[in-house]
Amino acid sequence: MTGYYAQLLVNGIIAGSIYAMFAVGLAMVYGVFKFINFSHGELITWGAYLTWMFSSPPFSLPVYISVVPALLITVGIGLAQDRFVYRSLRQSNPIAILIASIGLSYMLRNGIRLCWGSDLQTFDLPLSTGILLGGIYITKIQILMVLSALLFFSILYFLLTRTLLGKSLRAVSDNIELSAIMGINMKKVTWTIWVLASVFAGTGGILLALDTSLDPMMGMNSLIKAFAAVLLGGAGNVWGALIGGLFIGIAENISVAFISPDYKDFISYGLIFLLLLFKPRGFFGIAGGVR
Amino acid sequence: MDYFYHILIICLIYSIFAQSLNLELGFTGLYNFGHIAFFGIGAYTSALLSLNGVPIPLAVVGAITLAGIAGALLAIPTLRLSGDYFGIATLVFAEMAHLVFLNERDITRGPMGLPNIPRPDWIGSGISSLPRFLIVTFVAAALTFILLRRITNSPYGRSLKVIREDEFVAQALGKNTSLIKTKAIVVGSVLAGLAGVIWAHYITYISPADFTLQETILVLLCVVLGGKGTHLGPVVGAFVIIFFAEFIRFIPIPSEYIRFVAPLQGMTYGFILVIMMLKRPQGLIPESRKFTTTNA
Repeated sequence: MTGYYAQLLVNGIIAGSIYAMFAVGLAMVYGVFKFINFSHGELITWGAYLTWMFSSPPFSLPVYISVVPALLITVGIGLAQDRFVYRSLRQSNPIAILIASIGLSYMLRNGIRLCWGSDLQTFDLPLSTGILLGGIYITKIQILMVLSALLFFSILYFLLTRTLLGKSLRAVSDNIELSAIMGINMKKVTWTIWVLASVFAGTGGILLALDTSLDPMMGMNSLIKAFAAVLLGGAGNVWGALIGGLFIGIAENISVAFISPDYKDFISYGLIFLLLLFKPRGFFGIAGGVR
Repeated sequence: MDYFYHILIICLIYSIFAQSLNLELGFTGLYNFGHIAFFGIGAYTSALLSLNGVPIPLAVVGAITLAGIAGALLAIPTLRLSGDYFGIATLVFAEMAHLVFLNERDITRGPMGLPNIPRPDWIGSGISSLPRFLIVTFVAAALTFILLRRITNSPYGRSLKVIREDEFVAQALGKNTSLIKTKAIVVGSVLAGLAGVIWAHYITYISPADFTLQETILVLLCVVLGGKGTHLGPVVGAFVIIFFAEFIRFIPIPSEYIRFVAPLQGMTYGFILVIMMLKRPQGLIPESRKFTTTNA
């Protein structure tokens, strides 16, 4: 019986590491630009679908190579979102930017439907054989998921704490006007944030698609989980997003032992409500800022 | 002609739905991204009650009451939140409602939906009932219009606008802002429930797939395109959007391209939302910024 719970816990950590990768970009954008980017989920979907496109005919590249052009295009989409929509709306009414991001997300999602249809798709990979580790069953892709998350978060930690760019990023999220006065290059910082958000979301999307399947709604569904993670960690807080993501993943998977799997999503939904009610600043207190 | 009646009925139902969202989004500045939940609650409650032998007028009253109660229950925890958090909370609420419709198979029959929803005898069914159904829908839409006009032109309506512009000012003026906002959400939810009720008894078949984010986007588009914060805006928006959607059906499209139509339509809706925000956030009919003292 303990083996069963251990298995659920491991599944939770795997899911959680992906949620954390989705949540980071959302948290960074919120921390600096102070709006919830509804179209963040579409970066997840586009990353996954583009990789799938490059790895199937006519391109037929191996998956690990098709990741490169796919991520490049995803970053392009992320930067284009900012360049053509959000930059112009930065000074306007907050409701305008929110409605624009909902519209953008809907547009990009239907773009997926237009190019590849609404049906479920899967990567044409040989059936991945699981490994039995001390009574816990885990596939190679799932190991890759956890390792990628570890690697990405280590790089992010190094970037934020050890480089000048990372320091200016933290400064900007702390106080955008003061940073601009101090001569921090805002263009570079904005650019970095969108690149990071797109790469994290795109990579997470690819890994999720490799583990399960692709469908046009995958981004929207993950976005809600990511948002729950961001809230749990305190909006705008990168490390809070990491811990929040892991927590949501674990809570969801453990819940399968107690409630019907049909209602698995209720865990993150219910959590969002409870947090908004009692702890709108998150459990890791420090409101705002990439810390 | 019958088809024209059908389009008019759908337009009027959407105009009620859009007007109810406009009270929250346009007049009060509450970003409700889960408005479809109340439409769905109205539709499901009325359908289930009348399918189980409750007289239809009673079922309708029960349905809109439940939609209003659901609105109050959502409002109480979420209204303390600032704008974009409220948006997420309502979006999540709609997803939860959708999951309940989908998974409570014993009650809602899950993905199979509810067929054969009855209509009142004096309306009847089939094509011959269309003109009568049109009149009923028109009366409901007109009453909604008049009701919302009265509400928003009253002192209460002006305090809604003050809350939208600056909640602290409203508090400083001694307004109980959370009570005022709760009332706005309850009225909005009741009217959205009413639109759902009419829709359920008109189409006579509902399933969870009818109550998704897609419909939220559609009604949001009606409000934003027409002009949020105006009386006529959402009505105009609903007519433009529904006529546009129905017009597309008449374009002769070769059958091998038919699968591209729905995604292209969705992309257009999203694109219009983005462009409206960038170029004309006030909508087709801009809100008058003049201060009016009349109660007309």
